Amino acid sequence: MTKWLIIVGGSVLAALLVGLAGWFVVVPRLQPQVFNAQVMQGVDAPDIELQGSNGQPVSLADFEDQVVVVYFGYTFCPDVCPITLSKLARARAMLGDDADDVQVVMVTVDPERDTPEVLREYAARFDPTFLGLTGDPADIDRIATIYGVYYQTVDTESKAGYLVDHTSTVMVIDRSGELKLLVSFDATDDEIAEDLSYLVS
Amino acid sequence: MAEDASGRTTRGRWILRLAIPGALVVIGVMAFAIFEPIQVLPRIRLGPGFSLTDQAGAPFTSEDVRGDIVLYSFGYDDCGDRCAGMESTVTEVRDRLGEVDLGDVDIRFVTISLDPASEGPDELTRQALRVSADGEQWRYVSGDPDHVENVIRAGFRTWYEPRDDGSVAFDPALILVDGWGVIRGEYRYQTVASDADKIIRHLDVLGEELRNATGAATVAYEAAHFFLCYP
Repeated sequence: MTKWLIIVGGSVLAALLVGLAGWFVVVPRLQPQVFNAQVMQGVDAPDIELQGSNGQPVSLADFEDQVVVVYFGYTFCPDVCPITLSKLARARAMLGDDADDVQVVMVTVDPERDTPEVLREYAARFDPTFLGLTGDPADIDRIATIYGVYYQTVDTESKAGYLVDHTSTVMVIDRSGELKLLVSFDATDDEIAEDLSYLVS
Repeated sequence: MAEDASGRTTRGRWILRLAIPGALVVIGVMAFAIFEPIQVLPRIRLGPGFSLTDQAGAPFTSEDVRGDIVLYSFGYDDCGDRCAGMESTVTEVRDRLGEVDLGDVDIRFVTISLDPASEGPDELTRQALRVSADGEQWRYVSGDPDHVENVIRAGFRTWYEPRDDGSVAFDPALILVDGWGVIRGEYRYQTVASDADKIIRHLDVLGEELRNATGAATVAYEAAHFFLCYP
């Protein structure tokens, strides 16, 4: 009887351990429980190698073990970009000490006007840690295209000369370098902070 | 001695009480993985962003189809049988859309020129007329050759190479993209056999996910993605 109890109990205990392990592995990957944004799974983020507003060449590989938030915008942008960057700055601030694990980069879709200096001054208005990225227009076009970002210059009579229509989606890359989230323009500060908090924790 | 036996029995009961839920979780997970009660299409990668021009000469961008399901194809005017095969597949899918329920989501068809340096609205219109593409649900598009190259090669990862005789060598491909701009299906190396049946089946699966993956059911659909429950 004792022998059978040990065999049955041991088997069930083993099943319990496997179940618990499965729970801790599987459940964290059921992202809708925690993420507000659209989830991607198992997709390596295309590399980005451009000139940083910090005066250095910047590659995604530089942010190893950090969560990277990628946004495509430009400094003359009248509305969508400042709203988005402000939200990202507030969301990052909500993370407290974990904020250091999040790097926000804005790839310019207006490389003609957005020099590293212009980008540095612009990014610092939102958060001194934000990085602007610029480079050869052909490189920008290739990177934007593979990140699903459209952009197109639009002539206006404003002092700015021209505007640039562009996709407003924010992409989030996790610590392992996988493109993890697509955040829509409608996302709130709280929702973005929640998602980032989960990824850095 | 009696107390020891009693103690062992009590411990055994507690082990069973704790283990049963764990065993049920394991069985449930295994059953989900094996029987795949829900199927989904994989989220392969991001589809490209683009800014092109359609057969009417109007601007057409990836933002114009945000929220829609799009079946992309590639071709050029003098392409011959290989393009005819793809056109016939897309035409069949278009004509059989009544078989799938996509809810409120629209489906669009976009054929991107493999010869953008030579093809403007006139050439695109000629191709569109061949398949009765209406210019709204099905557009033929072209644009700056460098940008088109980025879109097709880097974005859709589809090989093509212009030849000296004016023809274009390419791998025939049809690519299904969802409303978030995420590639959900790739149908490559098609020659004669039609992929229309497969695409229709996949549209049905995608439609089911779009209709049902809300609220708590989202978790079940994410589990289906996790366990690679693909058709």
